[in-house]
Amino acid sequence: MATFVMEAKNVYKTYRIKGDKKGEEKGVEAVKDVSLTIRKGDIKLIFGPSGSGKSTFLRCMAMLDTPDKGQIYLGDECLTKSGVDLNKARARIGFVFQHIYLFRHLTALGNVELALRQVLKLPKEQARKRALDALTEVKVCDCANKYPSQMSGGQAQRVGIARAIARNPDIILLDEPTSALDPELTGEVIDTLRDLAKEGTTMLIVSHEMPFAREVAEEMIFYDEGRIVEVGPPSLFFNAPNTDRAKQFMTRIINRTTR
Amino acid sequence: MDVWQQLIFLLEGVPLTLSISIISFLLGIAIGFPLAFLRVYEKEVSFVIDGYEKIFRGIPEIVLMLMFYFGLGPFFPIPFGSAFFVAAFVLGLRSGANQSQIYRGAIHGVGDEQMIAGMSVGLSKWRSIWHIMVPQVFTFSTPGLGSEYALLIKDSAYVYVIGGLAEIMTISIRLKSTPPYDAITPFILAAILYIIITFPLAYYLDRWGNKRKKKIGL
Repeated sequence: MATFVMEAKNVYKTYRIKGDKKGEEKGVEAVKDVSLTIRKGDIKLIFGPSGSGKSTFLRCMAMLDTPDKGQIYLGDECLTKSGVDLNKARARIGFVFQHIYLFRHLTALGNVELALRQVLKLPKEQARKRALDALTEVKVCDCANKYPSQMSGGQAQRVGIARAIARNPDIILLDEPTSALDPELTGEVIDTLRDLAKEGTTMLIVSHEMPFAREVAEEMIFYDEGRIVEVGPPSLFFNAPNTDRAKQFMTRIINRTTR
Repeated sequence: MDVWQQLIFLLEGVPLTLSISIISFLLGIAIGFPLAFLRVYEKEVSFVIDGYEKIFRGIPEIVLMLMFYFGLGPFFPIPFGSAFFVAAFVLGLRSGANQSQIYRGAIHGVGDEQMIAGMSVGLSKWRSIWHIMVPQVFTFSTPGLGSEYALLIKDSAYVYVIGGLAEIMTISIRLKSTPPYDAITPFILAAILYIIITFPLAYYLDRWGNKRKKKIGL
């Protein structure tokens, strides 16, 4: 029996983008030798400059991107081995996207219900009840019959969270869940995350919401240029980070939020 | 023969024109829809589909109709001996090639993110396609489908080259060559009929699509 919920071991990922010259391709090393272990009930927060590869790493964890090298474990199962049923594995991982990506042709209820019906194969009544429970938990029950285009960004993102938690996944991965929202809407999403944290949900969050991080994260991970630069409790980062790079970044981010 | 008599003759051709276009339109959906998804999501077979699209978009339908009816008809009277079958078959295959491109554009328009979101909740690739892409792609395609349908109504007129099918065009040519050899009125009437039968469905498709699109915020 594995002692961790998820583990990344020496993961590498390079993706190709178009270069400056015509027809030229450049490789961007988004993830370079990253290892990370998450135990049950852990709340870990990844932060760092944009474009440093945090999102790519998170997508690799959910196998929405295939790592070039290294292993991803979900419990005892190695997801990077060939022949693994990735759909089954993804059903046990909740994923919340920065740009939400709700299914646009379905109502909030439909969004949450879909996987319960089609992946967990629950009977209709049971799926509906569980979907409503999930929507109630994130306090968007009143939006159950609304389409994504009829919701505010904050409501939509909470539906996104409901979609991720309804299956009772082993872990929830959140990719900058608030950064695409208006500042006044981030609060309601943060409140939802805080509630999840209180219930002991295992979470790996990419976020720059520093007050929130300080409050709920057990461990913060500073990520830059495809690598984990420094790891420690929030107190370390808010007082005196060891690396210059983290120091620099924290100064900038704290100045920004207090100004 | 006065105008009204001519009109009555022409009206008799409307059901046939409509059935050729509607059947080929449906055949086009049945062919084009799966092809578009295969083309986007199964890269290994895309060259076959590409070939099919090039052939049927590249060859004039008049050539295909003559080829199937007169070339294959004598050897395979079933089904190619039937003018109706050849007409619907050729137009349907051509429409399948066109519609495949329409749907492919729509798939890209709906966006890869919807697929990724589907996979993220544990759906397999083809289940994501079925539950998430298919309903949106159809909505996204409605303007293109409207013009495709209009095209089929118009192209059904080519059927006169194989003869034997009393649709609007064939009848108007017959009227031209019967006394009093009026070479203008039958064609003007045919033109009016074509316009009248083209627009209701195209208009309805467009309106339905816009309503759905508004609802899903596209």
